[in-house]
Amino acid sequence: MLLVYVILGTLFGLVLSRSGAADYNFIQGMFLLTNFQLYGIIGAAVAVTAPGLYLLKRYGRTLSGAPISIELKPLHRGNVTGGILFGIGWSITGMCPGPILVNIGEGKIYALAALAGALVGAAIFGVGYPAIAKPLGLPALARGTGDG
Amino acid sequence: MNLILHNVPAIHWALAGGAIAAITLTLLFVSNRRLGISTGFEDVCSLVLDAPYFRRSAVVDARGWRLPFLGGLVLGGVLSAVLSGGWAPTWDLGMFDTVIGGGPMVKVAWMFVGGLFIGFGTRLAGGCTSGHGIFGLSNLEMPSLISTVSFMGAGLITTNLIYRVIF
Repeated sequence: MLLVYVILGTLFGLVLSRSGAADYNFIQGMFLLTNFQLYGIIGAAVAVTAPGLYLLKRYGRTLSGAPISIELKPLHRGNVTGGILFGIGWSITGMCPGPILVNIGEGKIYALAALAGALVGAAIFGVGYPAIAKPLGLPALARGTGDG
Repeated sequence: MNLILHNVPAIHWALAGGAIAAITLTLLFVSNRRLGISTGFEDVCSLVLDAPYFRRSAVVDARGWRLPFLGGLVLGGVLSAVLSGGWAPTWDLGMFDTVIGGGPMVKVAWMFVGGLFIGFGTRLAGGCTSGHGIFGLSNLEMPSLISTVSFMGAGLITTNLIYRVIF
């Protein structure tokens, strides 16, 4: 199974790299509304994944024969505040989480600094969770904000 | 517009979107896992930090698939560079170089600060472009719609401030 995850990740990385999804200019073009490649990619991905998910949940099973089980993400105020902070970071770096790793693979040295920042940011969030959960309107620690 | 990487043309958006959907559905089919990258930051943190948040089973149990998947993303980048003209370390940053400019230390500081927003923000929102934008929207989840509108809106405003107001 380990190899399957590595292969799926490699294919995902290859697609992100060659499609512009991990490219600084394409990301800025998306936000400047001067290039629509990324809207096409995300739109097409959702347009195919949505019916696929529906069919798989309704009629399908996993490879091992188990029913499909998808843990839903909780609704909380962090969806808005966290989304805003992430959007600012995506704009500044031109990378969302997957493409940070893809850019490192491509040889973009500065992407290592983005990864360092992201890990420190996630560490501050996790360590500080008990203190910020209440003021920021987040679920209980055991539940978390949503995985994925 | 071509990619910064070796100035090669990008593949068609429909092909990329279809491939991402196939990968997402395959992951669910083989392992019953929902696609999502940003929790991977927590998986890495959980290797060295002992805070209760990083001891949650949602974090620890997912390391087995997410860490190799993240490693694959790096490999995919390497493969892409090799296939499109060869792998070489670079500081090229496209329109940042032509409009804003600055040497390696400027870029390192810029990227580190942006990374802080990404790490803290994605975990506060409970997902990123993959977990909320692709999987969550496809699964018709309200938190994902709210998060996606929030990060797309904030990105739109920030980039327009940077490239149409400040620089």
